[in-house]
Amino acid sequence: MNGEGEDASKVIHVKFLTKLDYPFKVPVTSVVIPSSVTRLGLSSIVNSLLTLEKPEPFDFLIDGELIRMSLEQFLNAKGISAERTLEIEYIRAVAPRKEEKPSLHDDWVSAVDGSFPRFVLTGCYDGLGRIWSSPGSCTHILEGHTGAISSIAFANSEGAEGVTVATASRDRTLRLFKVDPAESGDSTTRVGAYKILCGHKASVASVAAQKYGSKVCSGSWDCTINVWDTNESTSELSVPGKKRKGNNQAEEPQLEGEVETTLVGHTQCVSSVVWPEHDVIYSCSWDHSVRRWDVETGKDSLNLYSGKALNTVDVGGEGSALVAAGGSDPILRVWDPRKPGTSAPVFQFASHSSWISACKWHTSSWFHLLSASYDGKIMLWDLRTAWPLSIIETHKDKVLCADWWKGDSVVSGGADSNLRISSGISIS
Amino acid sequence: MTKKKSEGANEDQTIETKKKSVSAVKSQKEKPVVAKQSLSGSLNSDDFDSDVFDSEDDASQRETEGGGKDSSEDELELHGHEGSDDDDEGEQVDSENEGSEEREVAEESDSSEDEVAPRNTVGDVPLEWYKDEKHIGYDITGKKITKKEKQDKLDSFLANMDDSKNWRKIYDEYNDEEVELTKEESKLIRRMLKGEAPHADFDPYAPYVDWFKWDDAIHPLSSAPEPKRRFIPSKWEAKKVVKYVRAIRKGLIKFDKPEEEPNVYLLWGDDSASDQKSKHLTYIPPPKLKLPGHEESYNPSLEYIPTEEEKAAYELMYEEDRPKFIPKRFTSLRSIPAYENALKESFDRCLDLYLCPRVRKKRINIDPESLKPKLPSRKDLRPYPNSCYLEYKGHTGAVTSVSPDCSGQWIASGSADGSVRIWEVETGRCLKVWQFKEPVKCVAWNPLPDFPILAVAIGQDLVILNTELGTDEEQQKIEELLRLGTLPEQDEAVAAIVSWLPDETYGGIKIKHFKNISYVDWHPRGDYLSAVMSAGETRGVVIHQLSMHKTQRLPIKMRGLPVCTLFHPTHRGMFIIATKKNVRVFNLQKRELAIKKLETGLREISSMAIHPGGDNLIVGSKEGKMCWFDMDLSSKPYKTLKNHPKDITNVAFHRSYPLFASCSEDSTAYVFHGKVYSDLNENPLIVPLEILRGHSTSSDRGVLDCKFHPRQPWLFTAGADSVIKLYCH
Repeated sequence: MNGEGEDASKVIHVKFLTKLDYPFKVPVTSVVIPSSVTRLGLSSIVNSLLTLEKPEPFDFLIDGELIRMSLEQFLNAKGISAERTLEIEYIRAVAPRKEEKPSLHDDWVSAVDGSFPRFVLTGCYDGLGRIWSSPGSCTHILEGHTGAISSIAFANSEGAEGVTVATASRDRTLRLFKVDPAESGDSTTRVGAYKILCGHKASVASVAAQKYGSKVCSGSWDCTINVWDTNESTSELSVPGKKRKGNNQAEEPQLEGEVETTLVGHTQCVSSVVWPEHDVIYSCSWDHSVRRWDVETGKDSLNLYSGKALNTVDVGGEGSALVAAGGSDPILRVWDPRKPGTSAPVFQFASHSSWISACKWHTSSWFHLLSASYDGKIMLWDLRTAWPLSIIETHKDKVLCADWWKGDSVVSGGADSNLRISSGISIS
Repeated sequence: MTKKKSEGANEDQTIETKKKSVSAVKSQKEKPVVAKQSLSGSLNSDDFDSDVFDSEDDASQRETEGGGKDSSEDELELHGHEGSDDDDEGEQVDSENEGSEEREVAEESDSSEDEVAPRNTVGDVPLEWYKDEKHIGYDITGKKITKKEKQDKLDSFLANMDDSKNWRKIYDEYNDEEVELTKEESKLIRRMLKGEAPHADFDPYAPYVDWFKWDDAIHPLSSAPEPKRRFIPSKWEAKKVVKYVRAIRKGLIKFDKPEEEPNVYLLWGDDSASDQKSKHLTYIPPPKLKLPGHEESYNPSLEYIPTEEEKAAYELMYEEDRPKFIPKRFTSLRSIPAYENALKESFDRCLDLYLCPRVRKKRINIDPESLKPKLPSRKDLRPYPNSCYLEYKGHTGAVTSVSPDCSGQWIASGSADGSVRIWEVETGRCLKVWQFKEPVKCVAWNPLPDFPILAVAIGQDLVILNTELGTDEEQQKIEELLRLGTLPEQDEAVAAIVSWLPDETYGGIKIKHFKNISYVDWHPRGDYLSAVMSAGETRGVVIHQLSMHKTQRLPIKMRGLPVCTLFHPTHRGMFIIATKKNVRVFNLQKRELAIKKLETGLREISSMAIHPGGDNLIVGSKEGKMCWFDMDLSSKPYKTLKNHPKDITNVAFHRSYPLFASCSEDSTAYVFHGKVYSDLNENPLIVPLEILRGHSTSSDRGVLDCKFHPRQPWLFTAGADSVIKLYCH
């Protein structure tokens, strides 16, 4: 292939560098390649240099920018001289290498949470929450809601003894479930809520839990954000969760949680909330704004105006400060609130063709985030390029929710009633 | 001599006096001159006569008379100088003529020449008249003066020889006598011939003696006061000046005549700028032809003639590229083909020019773009719905009606397949389905947020459905409301057309009407709802009160077939009814005739919507026109928008954004910007924004309903293709 390249009019001297370890490390020597190669060509060059048994796709960076066109075009666009030896850093391509078996639900999967590595939580339109330990194996069913679950979250992970799960539903309530992951057997365990959080006057759209704390917050169609405490149950009444299999809450006394704080400020439905720091809540709303709330004072300290009704928001990236939000248009926007004087988004990703239903930052990477859209696609993004790194098109209908799981997988649920897990995504 | 001196001193004297003096001098000098002239034979002066022809008989008499008269006359005429003259002459004559008495006499007579009349009295007549006569004339007494016998030449010669003084004798023809000149006279003549002064002792260069004493004169020469004319502006001069001024003004007097321009002009020049143009407004210069060049000559130079190769090249060219004229040579002008017809052709050309009037085309150059009204750019009017991202699929028949709930979370739809569905707006999830046996005509969500019930028009029934979306307390209230207990007494007239029944299948209320219901509308307070039965004619509109389970007929007499109704959004009692042709506004509380009648001018009204402010109304018609009424302004439409090629099925206003929309059977929906200003002087601003396509036509029907999202600038459209679409900004 190098012989072919030399026939081309233009050749470039390149040097491949990497931070990857042994099996993916090429010798640091200058290679002459034609300037018309694309990412695929570069990847095959590196693969041929490595002589791996199984070909491995790579992505290439020049000066911190991912190459998404032919090398010549890229150099022209960036104004980089092709005469000196070019140093190209390569990383393993961010793309799912394996598609897990879909986990079928009874209805649309409206919520998914993969923040706990051992489980995936899903919320469904049939009003049940489910805990999946692995693809296809549902260990627990969280029951009790009379309306569709709109959001689900790991509320508190206090060691190994138990996991608290919070669900938000269209029936205007939130429920807290305690699940013991140890007792996961072959059969599916049905779990009832130990605490019902009533207080919203309309459907609850979103729930988020405080990290290393005992509080959850929820955004609702009544334009408010409520902050609840999850801990009270233990002090007052201990209701063993196992007893209430298939029963509804009317038979046995249950705790009713009171609203601790109500954050008022949004003028329309609060569609999504995230709680990334101890007392900072980010929320987005159909009133086109993203707000940052101080839980202590109950005031909003930041107000980003996007111009579109927003469905989802997440905070992450560099210093966990970048705000990504998507909504009623196909553009995923990323703001940097630390930038003074401007409220314009710093990044806009516009490859989707319909509303964006979910966006999540990768927990460990500063650059990667995913977005799910009603066009049935999940896209993986890198801030260093405007094109999606990869597009997951496993869903046959709208994707309603998506999340990272275990750092290398994407879990997603959609209107095709399936939970799909795409794994093997290598993010260094 | 002194006379001359005095004359020189007094030059101021008038011309007349000078003349006199001159004649006086003449008289002095003329005596010898005349004598001389008589010598040459050409004399005719009076004075002369007297000089020469002195008769001896009255010489003494004349002398005495002459002396007296002479002095007196001289004094009169010549200021007394003459006297001295006379004396001088007299002395001289005396001294000269001492020799003979005759001469003395003659001298004496000579001095008094003026008094002595000439002997002959014929006067100044030519002497030829007397040539053949024996007499020469008549003397003073009338006696003929006989001619003397003429001396023959011999005699005169002999006399000359005899008398040495004979040369002095001069023959006077007039008086027919001989006159003998004296020595002095001859001397005088001689001097005069030389051009000197006649008198020998006259010194022309005598020193000037100023006899007048100038210096010590006490009195002025004239004591007359200074005359006024010295210092008064002259009246005559002024008159003269005025006369000149008037003449100048009249143009009779011209000073600088303008130079006449040479009457030449460029024969072949461009006359577009000539003064002919400025004289006539409608002057149209004749079209200018290109002047013929050398190549158009009948015998052009050789270099203009194309060679054979060039001609061949012309043949190969396309007809339109070929040169129009190819130069040719002719031996003479007569051999030109056009020569034969030249006269006729030029006549035809002139005739063409004459018969073909050149008319100035009055064309106004207006940029068509400038005629367009200045509308703000669409970009500035964002947000507005423009692209479809969400579809609500599930119906199996044409979706006839949609209605979003007031929070914007849900939307209800009714379809021709008989189903009523509730959808989640955010995800497009169908939440609830009610199935009926007849096609659903209209659904309407109760406008109260805590009262989530639906009014559905199915055939003759108006069904109130509980959506079960509210909280528990709300559900309790709704269930109470929908439970039909003992029904209140209805009027007979009402009972004939409406009956309230419980709906068994879905646990709501079914209000049965006597005709098919076509339209349902809620009062903004959520208790009243109006139902329209198109076929019901005058009884076609009824108003139900849900809380009382009661029905009222319209308290107003109505004309025409009702199409749709509206409760006024702000004014509680106002009720708007659209019939097929007109829109009438009623006040239900006052039970009066129509407050206002809006003349739409449309053929058939299909729908209407009212601005949330309550003053502006849009009406859609089945001919595709939409009228905007400013109800405060006039009963005529403020604007009529003709956009749709087919029937407009529905029109809608947004509750908060300045947007309105119309949807049509042509499968499109139009979105407009409709800004109503709070300033009453400012007219509403209407800007077409977007044509929303996407629906497909099914069984010749397009978009059947459109409604705006209550809070977002989004538009729901219900299509005959059984899909509901959501257009977002």
